[in-house]
Amino acid sequence: MNGKDIRKLVIACDAGMGSSVMLAGQLRKTLKKQDVTVEHTPVDAIPGDADVVVCHTGLAARARRGAGGTPVIPFEVYLGDPAVDRLVKAIKDGGEVGA
Amino acid sequence: MRSVPDGAAGLLARDAIRLDAWAGGRDHAIRICGQVLVDTGAVAPAYIDAMLERERSISTYLGEGVAIPHGTSGGRDLIHRDALAVVRFPDGADWDGNPVTVCIAIAARGDGHMEILAELAQVLMDPDRARALREATEDEQVLALLTPDTETREEEEDSV
Repeated sequence: MNGKDIRKLVIACDAGMGSSVMLAGQLRKTLKKQDVTVEHTPVDAIPGDADVVVCHTGLAARARRGAGGTPVIPFEVYLGDPAVDRLVKAIKDGGEVGA
Repeated sequence: MRSVPDGAAGLLARDAIRLDAWAGGRDHAIRICGQVLVDTGAVAPAYIDAMLERERSISTYLGEGVAIPHGTSGGRDLIHRDALAVVRFPDGADWDGNPVTVCIAIAARGDGHMEILAELAQVLMDPDRARALREATEDEQVLALLTPDTETREEEEDSV
């Protein structure tokens, strides 16, 4: 899917009170001017209308099971992960996501 | 006393800031952080076990000598009120090979702390401010660094 078509970005997490909240806060700020909703949800309750799912590599397998065909973007580090940076760029400038 | 903006003052109480703690390692550091949350009435004692459990599944180490220990989703019922605690270990605590100097412990059922964590991320991506957080010796310095600053928000919004 193309980054320009993303309307709902979901950060899947386990506890939902630490890193996923931090990342959601950062991405909401970064994507403020884009028409994108940023949410964080438990990894076992990914909403069906998510266009892309972002999660820690440790949760990627569980996220893929719950995400259906929705692209899952795993990240390794909480700050400045290149995979998250690429996703932000694709949303802002267009480009293939999850290819 | 200087007034502190609502966001930080509401979630991060002054008596939940400890800047001269010592821990022998990760689990000891988490127990100290959890005890601060217990002592300030934010969580039940069993929440500390949930924090240790979470850390063993996925580390909460962020980088720049900072970790954000918190419980599991199963530990949510042990939270009395949403709160943060800041505990500084000037000698560093070994966190799976990384030296951690500052822990920001989290107890949250809601998203009220989202802006503070987003601000923390900005601080940690700026080497000078990250060092200032690690070297903070006054509560005021910590509160100032973690309080979302409306003046700089506009210029920062284009960076993650």
